Amino acid sequence: MRSAQDGDSGAYRQLLTEITPLLRRFVCGQRRFLQPCDIEDLVQDILLSLHSVRATYDPNRPFLPWLVAIARNRLADGARRTLRRAANEISVADYPETFSRDAANKLDDGYGDPEALKQAIGNLPRGQRRAIEMLKLREMSLKEAASASGMSVAALKVAVHRGMGALRKVLNDEEQTWKRTN
Amino acid sequence: METNQLIRRLAEDAAPIRRLPAPWRRAAIWFAISLPYVAAVIYAHAALVDPQQMLADRQFLVEEAATLLTAIAAVIAAFCSVVPGFSRMMLLLPLPPLLVWLASLGEGCLRDWLRLGAAGLQLRPDWDCLPPAAMLGIVPMIAIVVMLRRGAPLYPRVTLALAALATASLANFALRTFHVGDASIMVLVWHFGGVLVLSLLAGWIGKLVLSWKHLTTGPATADK
Repeated sequence: MRSAQDGDSGAYRQLLTEITPLLRRFVCGQRRFLQPCDIEDLVQDILLSLHSVRATYDPNRPFLPWLVAIARNRLADGARRTLRRAANEISVADYPETFSRDAANKLDDGYGDPEALKQAIGNLPRGQRRAIEMLKLREMSLKEAASASGMSVAALKVAVHRGMGALRKVLNDEEQTWKRTN
Repeated sequence: METNQLIRRLAEDAAPIRRLPAPWRRAAIWFAISLPYVAAVIYAHAALVDPQQMLADRQFLVEEAATLLTAIAAVIAAFCSVVPGFSRMMLLLPLPPLLVWLASLGEGCLRDWLRLGAAGLQLRPDWDCLPPAAMLGIVPMIAIVVMLRRGAPLYPRVTLALAALATASLANFALRTFHVGDASIMVLVWHFGGVLVLSLLAGWIGKLVLSWKHLTTGPATADK
């Protein structure tokens, strides 16, 4: 370590290579439950920490207590990090966003009975029906619908508004009746 | 990154470095920076107490000695705490002088109470000493934080609390030279209490000031 502090990269590399198996054994001994990849992460974390504080090593003092103090500290930090992550993360077994599950098929996303909707539109007065078909089903603009139908923009707006109100009423009534009978 | 690859990169990055001096030497360096500054602030303060009056007050001398010893012990403990391998018992080094200081103040309070009754323990606000106390602490605190950040942040909260204890004790040591005649209860609450509160606050933000993060950002770590 003394040579490493003096800039001898060969000696430093040899030292790090020699202490790595010791560190691996130390981490394994302290954290038996960890996977090999997690153990390797901790060993690398200790090596990086050792590197960043190598100026604190005093050649007149023993090397191993210095190394073990860093290793213990990094292990404790790692454990705290893991606990913090575990406390703040929510693991989700499966995501509800699927095509078949109920959660992915909400009624709010659209009307659930297209046949009843088609029938209700068919029963609307002619003007309202045409306005709904052009503006809501074919998604034409007001200008396009006005030139196609010969109705004014204001009349189209009124017809759509009234048509939507009538549809809402008819379909709600049908839904209530269906709920009562089932 | 593989561990062998990391070792190779760390070895390549191993430029010669300056070893940190022993904790007691670093403490001496800190005093060498702080004491002239503190002396200059004391000198700049017009209302310095007569040295004869200071030397005649035994309790004042005991308190001053305990305060200075607390500062010395705390700064040595702070510098020991950033060197891996030191015994954790070193962190308790400032405790004995701190207890002597507290005992001396307690004795003063008791004496004031026996002499003056409840009036001897009357507490009043003393904001006058806040600006000089803050002034006395600024440079020593900056110096100690800069020095501590070169070490290993093994116990960041304790280390910064010890640093604040050292700084506040030194500031208090100097401050008492303007406040020699204060009642013990005032010194106990405002001076001793202030030192403890500052130390606790510093300990609270310890991890923000001292962390491995600011150390492990070298070229070898950039793409780990």
